[in-house]
Amino acid sequence: MRRSTQAHIACLFWLASLCNTPALAELVTLQLKPGLTARAEYQRGAAEKPAVLILHGFLQTYTFPTVHNLANGLARAGYSVLTPTLSLGVTHRDRSLPCEAVHTHTVEGNRRELDAWLAWLRARGHQRVVLIGHSLGSAELLLYLHAHRPRDVTRFIAVSLVESRPFEGKVDNTAFVRAQREKLSRGDKRPEAYPLSFCKRFVAPPQPFISYLSITPERLLQAARTLRIPALFIMGGGDNRLGEGWIERLQRTGQRVAVIPGANHFLDGEHEFDLLDLVLEALKAAA
Amino acid sequence: MRRYPLRIEQLNRLFLLLGLSLLAGLGLYAHLSLERVAGVKRQEEAAMAQREIAAAVAALEQRLKAIAQQLAAWDETRQHLANPEYYVLWRDGRVRETGLVPASMQVALYRPNGRILARDPQWAMPEALPDTGAGRARLQTAQGRTLLYYVFPVRVHADVEIVLGHAVLRLDPIAELRRHGPYRFVNADSLYLNAPDGTRLDVADLSRHIAFDPLPNPALDALLAEARGLTMVAIALALLLLLFVMRLQRLLLTRPLRRLTADIAALRDAPTSDVAPIGAQPYRLLELEQLKQAFADYRQRLNALLREMRHTSDRFYRQARQDGLTGVHNRRAFDEDRQQLEQDKRVSRCVLLLFDCDHFKAINDTYGHPVGDAVIRGLAQCLTQALRADDRLYRLGGDEFATLMPGAEIDTALKVAERCLEQVQRHDFRQYGVHEPISISIGLAHGVAPIDLIELHKQADLAMYAAKQPGHAKIVVYDDALGDLASLVHNRDVSAVYEAIRQPALIAFRYQPVVSLPALQREYVEALCRIEYDGQVIGPAAIFAIVQARRLDVEFDLAVIRAIRRDLAAGLPELRQGVSINLSGPGVVSDKVIQALIELKGDHPACKIVVEITETALITQLAVATANIERLRQAGCQVALDDFGSGYSSLRYLVNMPVDMVKFDMALIHLLIKGDPRQALLVEDIAEIVVTAGYALVAEGVENETLLAKVKALGFGYAQGYHLDALQERSQPDAIATA
Repeated sequence: MRRSTQAHIACLFWLASLCNTPALAELVTLQLKPGLTARAEYQRGAAEKPAVLILHGFLQTYTFPTVHNLANGLARAGYSVLTPTLSLGVTHRDRSLPCEAVHTHTVEGNRRELDAWLAWLRARGHQRVVLIGHSLGSAELLLYLHAHRPRDVTRFIAVSLVESRPFEGKVDNTAFVRAQREKLSRGDKRPEAYPLSFCKRFVAPPQPFISYLSITPERLLQAARTLRIPALFIMGGGDNRLGEGWIERLQRTGQRVAVIPGANHFLDGEHEFDLLDLVLEALKAAA
Repeated sequence: MRRYPLRIEQLNRLFLLLGLSLLAGLGLYAHLSLERVAGVKRQEEAAMAQREIAAAVAALEQRLKAIAQQLAAWDETRQHLANPEYYVLWRDGRVRETGLVPASMQVALYRPNGRILARDPQWAMPEALPDTGAGRARLQTAQGRTLLYYVFPVRVHADVEIVLGHAVLRLDPIAELRRHGPYRFVNADSLYLNAPDGTRLDVADLSRHIAFDPLPNPALDALLAEARGLTMVAIALALLLLLFVMRLQRLLLTRPLRRLTADIAALRDAPTSDVAPIGAQPYRLLELEQLKQAFADYRQRLNALLREMRHTSDRFYRQARQDGLTGVHNRRAFDEDRQQLEQDKRVSRCVLLLFDCDHFKAINDTYGHPVGDAVIRGLAQCLTQALRADDRLYRLGGDEFATLMPGAEIDTALKVAERCLEQVQRHDFRQYGVHEPISISIGLAHGVAPIDLIELHKQADLAMYAAKQPGHAKIVVYDDALGDLASLVHNRDVSAVYEAIRQPALIAFRYQPVVSLPALQREYVEALCRIEYDGQVIGPAAIFAIVQARRLDVEFDLAVIRAIRRDLAAGLPELRQGVSINLSGPGVVSDKVIQALIELKGDHPACKIVVEITETALITQLAVATANIERLRQAGCQVALDDFGSGYSSLRYLVNMPVDMVKFDMALIHLLIKGDPRQALLVEDIAEIVVTAGYALVAEGVENETLLAKVKALGFGYAQGYHLDALQERSQPDAIATA
């Protein structure tokens, strides 16, 4: 099948998915602190099924197609799905933050929001939560799980886990991180631009850099190896955002790695269904 | 209003004036139209400019709304409103990087309490949120400019009414509007805000506070200028064309027409002169050329006609002035030449000669008109031959000729007259069948300047008449002694004679008794006629001079007979014995006269009527006269030969005509006592012959007793005269009729 045809079919499905948004999807907000409220979309499903929290990628929102479509697919499958949008310091954020914005958010902050959302789920009676993350979101979830080990999280699915290396091959951030620490120690909070993730110019004061640059491939692999809950790493065979050999390194962690051949980083198009199938399969196993 | 024909020049000027007026009118109309169009266009452009400004303001408002919406929806706006730590960085960096807010605008965030998040020393944003009232904007003067502050809230989310704070966009509205251009109708440089500082308004109302100048419309201006230029060019061209046409018309039409008109006028004034050819060069207009040719042809024909008419006129003139019978000049020519001569100041003297054929009427009556005409032609020929080469012979009428000799001396004229007389005398008139000698009488009159030819004519007429008198020279030069003959030409006497002929009542008689000798008994009376006219009495001498001169013999005889009839009818006592009537020579041969006498006798058979035929009358038709006398005698009249011895051919008449009585002229009677003895003896012998021949003899002019005795002695049977009149009066006072 020609790629253009595939794309057209994918669009049709995507449109269909929009049209088929479950009727129970609701926009929920969570005040994180005065003046800062986060938003999420919640689709309540069957009580017996675990709730799914899907976290978007770096600077994205829950409306990101990979996340949103997966959420809808899971909701249709009867799962309660919560797809929050990390505030990233912006109240009621519902758009992706540009790389050039002055980013004041940190991984730590994001974790606190995760805690809040998990608490929110618990408050809604969800005892079991499956965490699914896309891209850097999956990285943050993996490290969150490695750091916090919440008991109601029963499974972790990472989709397109990135190794969080700087965009376009810059690997060693040590010096930069060191410089940022020095700035921070000086009290110099002036933001500066530095490549981070897919951002060529990620503008942030020292602390966000220090925070996000602490996500290293090594830490991710270590976290994967030591993960105590079932996990599934779903990777696109055609994901060009990964470093060379990353999938193999993940596989070597002993975790289950499902590679969807030909899928890109976003697993869109026809691979969307592959992703959904894999996730549903994983969820069934978690049930 | 009186109308009069226009001259073509006036028409040309009128046309030029009309053309210029039309051009001026068109130019003015074009100018006014252009101005009107320009005005309308400018009004439209002003309206368009106003709409343009309004559209620019609306666009500005939309931009501001869009910017505000984007800013308000921008996560980073909310981010920094919530955490202003990096607000300045965001304001000065991110905002500019994203281009969300144009560089020409400034943005500031304000806390919910209306305080600015961070001071803005560069742009001097107000530290407090500007009060916009009900609107969204406020005009405020800052840094020497009127700036617009656009205020809008920043909510936590579009779906959430919680206001995080406000954002203010500051801009120079005029600069923004200018930047909105390019304007088609608005002069962006002229834009300025006409609003007080602190005006609160909606951006949409901004246009009400904006003043501007409309953009000049170079295209329209150029078009107008072009149109004006074209109009001027068109008018100039039209003017040139008009002038050219006028010039052309002048060359092709006006001048030729005027030339043609002048030529026609010249021809009118001098129709027979050789007018210069009409336009030697051909006219450029075919029609004019044809007209010229036609006129030239017409003139040629006219000239030819004039020449022919002139020739004919000359011929008629000559014919009108030529006597048809003789070929000499006629009376008309004489009158014209006479008038011309009188007006010719160069003529200092002139002689007029009148020629008259003696007894022409008798000749005409005797031989007939053809012979009379031949005699006239012969006379004309003789006179023409006798006159000088330059002399003109005029036939005045009948047998009367004349010639004028301007500048001639009387002696010269006399010589010419004699030559004429001789020529006539030498001419053989017998060739025409005339047996009697033809003679002419010539009267001359001469005068000096100022020449009065009418007077000379009268004088020559008198002279000619004198020349006709028996015993007078045939050539008579007028002198004052001939004045007595003036009655011949006296108008009054002539009129009287004519009137008496018409009205015999004017004729009166002195009845002179003719008494018998020796008894001295009245036998009859002789009617001596006179005319009573206009209170005057005209005597026999004047009467008969006129009668003979005017050849009224027959007419006057008839008038006398009618007058005698009148008196006889009236029973005049003096006519009881009878009356003698003098008859003229023409009367003797006139059938009318003879018949009238016969009738008179017939009406008065008891009255003795004696017809006296005067010997002085030329009787050319003796046979006729003899026959008439016989008729009279047969009718009972007696015929007497009057004035025996004083006239023509006395014995011949006595021999040929059967008269009853012979009346000796008083001249003969007077010779009995006044003449020499031989004359007396001759008279006595003649008397004896006549008596012996058996004729009754009457002595006229017995003026005294001696004569009476003498005539008695000679055997005269009768006598008359003054002496006897007196005797009769004493003896018979009622016997003499007085006039």
